[in-house]
Parts: sequence; structure tokens; C-alpha cells
Amino acid sequence: MTKYYNITGLTVAMDSFGRTVTQAAPYECEPVDRPDIVVGGDWKRIKAMAEQLSDEDCEYLATGNSFYSQLLCHDGMMLHSSAVVMDGQAYLFSAPSGTGKSTHTALWRKVFGEDRALILNDDKPALRFENGRFYAYGTPWSGKTDQNLNLRVPLAGVCMLYRGEVNRIEPFSGPAAIHAILEQTVRPADPTKIGILLDLLDKLLTTVPIWKMHCNMDPEAARVSYAAMSAGRKERYL
Amino acid sequence: MKLKDGFILREVAGEHVVLSVGGEVDLNGMITLNDTGCTLWKRLEQEAELSDLTDALLAEYEVDEPTARAAAERFVEKLKELDLLAGA
Repeated sequence: MTKYYNITGLTVAMDSFGRTVTQAAPYECEPVDRPDIVVGGDWKRIKAMAEQLSDEDCEYLATGNSFYSQLLCHDGMMLHSSAVVMDGQAYLFSAPSGTGKSTHTALWRKVFGEDRALILNDDKPALRFENGRFYAYGTPWSGKTDQNLNLRVPLAGVCMLYRGEVNRIEPFSGPAAIHAILEQTVRPADPTKIGILLDLLDKLLTTVPIWKMHCNMDPEAARVSYAAMSAGRKERYL
Repeated sequence: MKLKDGFILREVAGEHVVLSVGGEVDLNGMITLNDTGCTLWKRLEQEAELSDLTDALLAEYEVDEPTARAAAERFVEKLKELDLLAGA
């Protein structure tokens, strides 16, 4: 059965099952005649490539891919990251799987309190460029965990995470920063969409502070990233 | 000579970024070009001789002919190394 959702401020029609329906429930809205996005996605194709996954996990991946691919046509993109919200600002921590994105945002909750630091999306938040600035959104697609919130929050910074012995954060720019971000989003096959993605990256890198952090798993890591990223926003952009 | 098909060149935060589309050529992620590289790349999206590349540099930068020609030659060598030229 097709249900309708409001995800990233867009109306979305989706006929799904299992985990996708459950996680999308908080985003459900009244039916609309012309949804902005119709989520498709051939989960059986994913199943054929990854037989160890359950049907509903394959469908969860397929619907997420379909949504994020179409999001590019609405000035939006997915960034493989854990997004934490604090004091009305979103901070994204991006890295390859296994680096410790979720571990780092969990440290924010431990250090700053679970009432104050909220997980917007633990794995695949959406970013949209609206009226000259970027916002981060929770979506139903949040990776292994179901940690996501149906919220739109101004994006205060993006930090690429690397493991290190000591905690050290610095501004990140140039080809290395572009490459690092490109590696953590889905590169579309359609040439038009690749152009759109690069144009969005241009806006992202010129309007949002980008950081590079080496971190360990001590609570101090959260204090170091928050201190730089919250102050960086004020100094550079206010 | 001419570039192979299937690349997209965009300016991202002041950098000239080239990505491959369709997957015929694997750029191992992406390549970036400096300003002169960008000029030459754009010229090579159409069929061009070495003299055309030299002219393109002379038109855009304050350099003498031998310098421009040498830069164009170096760039073409690099493209050949990366196997980015059509029919090469």
C-alpha cells in the first residue's frame, strides 16, 4: 500500500514494508496528488548481490538509495555521517564505516547530556540547500540503528573523522576535502546528477565550515570537536 | 587529439574538479586541475593539435610561446600517462 510522507520538506510517496515502514512512520502525512518524490528501488536486485541480508534490509537499502538519488533534483544530498543536534545547530561527523562516527556522537550525548545532544540521523542524514543556506534533516534511513528524528536543523559544520591517539581538529579545504566528502556520498551514474552533486558540494564547501579531526574515544574528543565547531561557526559566519 | 568521452569538469570551492561518468575510465575518485590545466582540458574537449593548445594558453596567460608550448606538451604527456586521450 502506498503511503505518503514528508521527508526533508518534500512530499514522498512510498510503497514499502518491514523496517522501512516502521522507521518512516513518524514522517507520514496526508496523501497528495503530485508527490515531489516517488520512491522506487528494486530490493531484489540488492538481495541478488547480498544474499546474507534479509528481504526487509534489502528493501530498506533500496528505498534509501531511491530517495537519496532523487533528492539531488531538489538541492539535497546524503552524507554518510552521524548527525548530532545541540542548541539548535546540527554537527555532522563523517567517515568510512568502522571509524567511529556513532561512537563520537554518542560521546557528545554522554558529555553534554542526552537531553541537550540529540541524534538527528546516525548514518545517512540529508542536507538541503534552501534560501542560501544548508539544513540537515533526519530521514527514515539511518543505517544499522533506528536513531533518527523528523527535524530540520541549520547545519553548523561538517567534520571528517579519522582515528588518532590525541584529539586534534583543524579546518579542512582544497582537493583533499572535496575528495573526502565525495567518498562519503553516493556518486550517481547519471551525468546530469553528477553535475548537480558537484554544484551542491561547491555550495557546501563555500557556506559551511568543513573540519578534519583526528580523535580517540575519550570524552575529551567531544569537548574538542564541539569547542572548535561551535566557535568556528560564530567567528567565520556571524 | 581529443579527450575521451565521459568526464565532467566543475569548479568546486575554487578547485577544478574532474570526475568520470559512466565508468569507462576510472580516475580513482577524482582529479583536480590547476588553472592552465583547466584551460587545456576545456580545449581538448574538442579535437586539437599541440599548436591549438599553445594558442589557448597564449590567449589566456602572459607567457611566451616556448613556455606555453612546453606546458602544453607536459600536460599532453600527463594525459597520455593516465590514458585519458581518445584513440591514443
